Amino acid sequence: MSITEILFWFLSALALVGALMVVLSRNPVHSVLWLVATFFAISGHYILMNAQFLAIVNIIVYAGAIMVLFLFVIMLMNLNSEAEPRKSWMMQLAGVLAGGCFMMVLVSLVRQTAELGGKTALVKEGNIGLIKQLGMKLFSEYTVPFEISSVLFLSAMVGAVVIGKKD
Amino acid sequence: MSQLVFLVPLFPLIGFLITGLGRNYLSKTATGYIASGSILGAFIVSCLLFSQVYGSGSGQVFTLFHFIQTEGFSIPFAFQVDQLSSLFLLIITGIGFLIHVYSTSYMHEEDAHHFARFFAYMNLFVFSMLLLVLGANYVIMFIGWEGVGLCSYLLIGYWFKNGDYNYAAKKAFIMNRIGDLGFLLAVFWMLAKLGTATYGEVFSQVATLSTFDITAITMLLFVGAMGKSAQIPLYTWLPDAMAGPTPVSALIHAATMVTAGIYMIARSNVLYTLAPFSQGFVAMIGLATAIFAATIALRQNDIKKVLAYSTVSQLGYMFLGLGVGAYTGAVFHVMTHAFFKALLFLGAGSVIHALHHEQDIRKMGGLKKQLPITHITFLLGCIAIAGIPPFSGFFSKDEILMATYAHQPWMYFIAMGGALMTAFYMFRLYSLTFLGSYRGHTDAAHPIHESPLSMTFPLMVLAVLSVVGGFIGIPAVFAENAHWLEHFLAPVFQPSNELVQHTHLDHATEYLLMGISTVLVLIMILLAVKLFGKDDVDVKKDDTGIKKWMANKWYIDELYQAVIIQPLHIFSVLLKNLVEKNIIDGAVNGVGRLVHYGARQFRLIQSGQVGNYLLFMILSIVVFILIWFNDATILRALNNIF
Amino acid sequence: MNAIIVSAVFGVLMMFASFLVNNKNVYRYLAIIGLSVLLLANILETYAIWSIKFDSFLQLSFERFGLFFNSIAIAATLFYVLLSGKDIVRVGNYSAEYFVLIFFILCGVSLITSYNSLLMLFLGIEIISIPLYILTGSDKKNLKSNEAALKYFLMGAFSTGLMLMGIALSYGAVGNFGLEGRGVVAFGGSMRVSFLEVAGLLLLFISMSFKASAAPFHFWTPDVYEGAPSVFTSFMATIVKATVFIGMIKLLEARTGIFGPTWQIILPLMIVLTLAIGNITAVFQQSVKRMLAYSSIAQAGFMLFALWSANDMGREGILLYSVAYTLATVGIFAVLVKMKDYTFDGFNGLAAKQPLVAASVAVFVLSLAGIPLTAGFFAKYFMLASAIKSGAGVWLLVVAVVFAAVSVYYYFRLIQAMYFKEGEAEMFEQPTNSFKGMLAIFAVLLIVLGIAPSLLFNYLYF
Repeated sequence: MSITEILFWFLSALALVGALMVVLSRNPVHSVLWLVATFFAISGHYILMNAQFLAIVNIIVYAGAIMVLFLFVIMLMNLNSEAEPRKSWMMQLAGVLAGGCFMMVLVSLVRQTAELGGKTALVKEGNIGLIKQLGMKLFSEYTVPFEISSVLFLSAMVGAVVIGKKD
Repeated sequence: MSQLVFLVPLFPLIGFLITGLGRNYLSKTATGYIASGSILGAFIVSCLLFSQVYGSGSGQVFTLFHFIQTEGFSIPFAFQVDQLSSLFLLIITGIGFLIHVYSTSYMHEEDAHHFARFFAYMNLFVFSMLLLVLGANYVIMFIGWEGVGLCSYLLIGYWFKNGDYNYAAKKAFIMNRIGDLGFLLAVFWMLAKLGTATYGEVFSQVATLSTFDITAITMLLFVGAMGKSAQIPLYTWLPDAMAGPTPVSALIHAATMVTAGIYMIARSNVLYTLAPFSQGFVAMIGLATAIFAATIALRQNDIKKVLAYSTVSQLGYMFLGLGVGAYTGAVFHVMTHAFFKALLFLGAGSVIHALHHEQDIRKMGGLKKQLPITHITFLLGCIAIAGIPPFSGFFSKDEILMATYAHQPWMYFIAMGGALMTAFYMFRLYSLTFLGSYRGHTDAAHPIHESPLSMTFPLMVLAVLSVVGGFIGIPAVFAENAHWLEHFLAPVFQPSNELVQHTHLDHATEYLLMGISTVLVLIMILLAVKLFGKDDVDVKKDDTGIKKWMANKWYIDELYQAVIIQPLHIFSVLLKNLVEKNIIDGAVNGVGRLVHYGARQFRLIQSGQVGNYLLFMILSIVVFILIWFNDATILRALNNIF
Repeated sequence: MNAIIVSAVFGVLMMFASFLVNNKNVYRYLAIIGLSVLLLANILETYAIWSIKFDSFLQLSFERFGLFFNSIAIAATLFYVLLSGKDIVRVGNYSAEYFVLIFFILCGVSLITSYNSLLMLFLGIEIISIPLYILTGSDKKNLKSNEAALKYFLMGAFSTGLMLMGIALSYGAVGNFGLEGRGVVAFGGSMRVSFLEVAGLLLLFISMSFKASAAPFHFWTPDVYEGAPSVFTSFMATIVKATVFIGMIKLLEARTGIFGPTWQIILPLMIVLTLAIGNITAVFQQSVKRMLAYSSIAQAGFMLFALWSANDMGREGILLYSVAYTLATVGIFAVLVKMKDYTFDGFNGLAAKQPLVAASVAVFVLSLAGIPLTAGFFAKYFMLASAIKSGAGVWLLVVAVVFAAVSVYYYFRLIQAMYFKEGEAEMFEQPTNSFKGMLAIFAVLLIVLGIAPSLLFNYLYF
């Protein structure tokens, strides 16, 4: 097993465990921290795939900015495990069953997909994730979507003002 | 040719909207001017169109927009202006205008907003009638067809506070609806078999249909005509329709609406020529109606009822003409009949107006001194309808009778008998009204005097037309190629005439028949005047025997009551008590309870909890994916079940 | 591209107006002007007279069908603002911002009608959704509005997740965001569609069904529609919903046949469920607003027929349906906003007090029920006829007709309340003459389209 492979399995396990813990933790602050861990694991994956820029952005934006914001909000609202509403065991069971079914069908779906068989992830090579490639794509082929997403952000900003500002 | 044609129905429509919407604001004078003016406008445009058709000698179709468009067929909202429709346009708008002018005086006693309501209905009626005549396909014709039926209902029931009048209105509407059903079925049949209802396409493709289809379509169309044109067995509404104001009777139930059936069959002449059975049926019904209604008219005492039965009878003659292939003759008779019957109705209206709504001819008499203009014009109308040469009625009726003789001599003799009765009852009516001495009670406060000019003017115009109107159709025996109308209408009836060669009578036979009929008619007139023109005519005695049957209209209304309405009533009571209460209500309530139950269950799901909602969504997605994995199996199972 | 750019520009202009001008009427007039310009710009592009062009590398494609729907949506919004503009500025303190969001939504609408790549579809759906979450919660002092916004946001985010997952799977199978996909290809000797692509499309379809509130993904609809301020409910139940259907039609047309026999099971199932749940639940509502929410689900059931039929008639039908349904619903909501009591009883005796308003509402309701001589009739007719053309089972049509009959019950309750019951029917304010005039125009339009529906189509393919 090469070092990349070991890293790949480790990061995958970390991402999965982290994601599970986000859902399972009773304390919201713990959930957020687990989420940060998940993001780091995913950034690791990016680096493995030679996409350094995405990895850095992922850490700066998601793990850094957004998660810190989440933490502030949770602390300001003084949420903790006691504040969380208790759900009936029926609902919990139903949720587990539904989620389990969903996961099962998705897994079986991927397994049925013949063309994925025998293919492995491109590791260490490839230059798609490099900042130069990304920039080229973004400002040629994807200019229009790139610009239009500004409308999306603008409307989100307006919304934040409308909802958040004191009357 | 110009696009002016759309103005023709537009004018009355605008008139209808203004008078109808502004009925609470407009003065009577304004209403009268607007309503009459709109018809006059339509008349002027019609004249232009007519002259264009006459000049170019051909018709044209104008499409306004696509009314209904589907895969199978397309029905354009289109108008057809040709010889036949332009002639009808002239009749409808011309006579319509005169009657509107007449009505401004006749209806003057009404309140302003009822007055406006009357004119709104009248304008709407003219609009519908124009739509009926102008439409370039059966669907547009049907819209007009229904429209005139509706207006007829509204106008008969114009004095809606009188229960009997409402009953008469309902009767007219229902009888018409029975006929309309036939018409509608015919149109559906046509659309199903030919995929079109446009005249030109139908007529050119109809030969591809089987005889059964053509016969069925024509018979169903004729059912529609029976209702609208008051033929046996659907005629009983027309006499009752006299409940409406007299100008309505003149416009709708004499000059225009009732001729819709004639127009429709004349328009569809190709279909009827290809369906000899239907054509024979039309002739038989026409003949039977002509005689039957004439016998009833002999013993009626209401001035308008006599004219009503006379109308039914004359319509019978027109159908007879259509049935024996004399399409031109039938249209000719429509025209002359429109002149003299409108004249007679308006004259009767003038009498009724002068006598303050007295309609019983037994209480009239000797009115020729008080009502000189009405008297003269009425007399001219009577002569015209009786068929004395050279008045208009002679030429048109003669043409139909001659064609009948050529077709079947025995039919001619029966029809001739009807014509003699016509002469008799018309002059009975005339004598009882204008000759002899006055039998009503005189009222010093309300002396009898002639109607105003706005009423007598239309009478005079119509009288002139009744006298000279026949000259557009002088038969070939008098002068070769003098039958102007036949030449004019020839393009419309050409396909039929190509299919069937009509036998022509030789001139000697024709002269002989004309001579005999004229002499017999004169004898009938003299007899009637002798019997009923006396000063001391006995009008009080009760009728006995067959006369009583005639006076009671052969008890046809009672027959319908007993044979159709009573059983239907019993049946409906049965349905109501048995089927309705137990089966239908049970089923409906059952469905209602089921829905109720379902709603309660659905509402439980709608709990308001986002978690639940998401749960259901996830489960649905799982189900969808599972379906997708097993789609072949599920489909097979479903196919086995269904 | 005119509509996308002009609507975004006017959105920004309205933002400037919000701090430069402090007069609510000015915002309204500015919005009306903006919508008119937008409509004009779109029409210019429809008839290829003038258009702004950027090379989008095939990510957008402008066809007459989509552009024509843009016109419908923009014109409907214009009518909507003309009718309910005063109620929009009254919802909260941020009058100009509401118009900003409406303009941005229109930008999303024009994206959805012209997308040629899934990326653009995603952007369009999101540009529509985010402003809607905010508009739903714009009545900030009303707890119900807040609750509705939060619910809508949570479930909307969930559906966005599904959509992203679908797009990702599709990308995995196809290798790009293209609308066409890869279709049937050889896999070890057999010809079939990649499982990944189908799964991706299925998730995409489900998430769009969610936006279109088709059962069983409709659960958010009644709660959100009821909680949101009525003026905005009216907007999102009509224009936005119709747009989502256009998006679905485009998607399924590009990837036609990809579901194979599955389609024969899933779509009828959804249609029947949607019709059943929408209609049956609507029967027992006491609140007119909630009834309209369920009725919008029921109407979505009919619009699903266009997806099933996937032919030209279905495309025309959905356009007519959008117009008929939008006009009627916007009209009813405009009246509803003015009522003090949202229950059926609140409408008692409206006909006596406001004859014109009641008559217009009656026409709207008749059109929604699909009574002949109103546009709603032909809309439903086109839907069913197009389905027949594509070989739908008769049982499906029978179900549709039966539920249309059920719908008559709850729609006519409104007429019954207005015309046959005694009551006060109190309103917040007397409707102005211009308001009544607009209502009457709506009603007349519905009747005109009900008599001659081809008037609309004559401008589609000529």
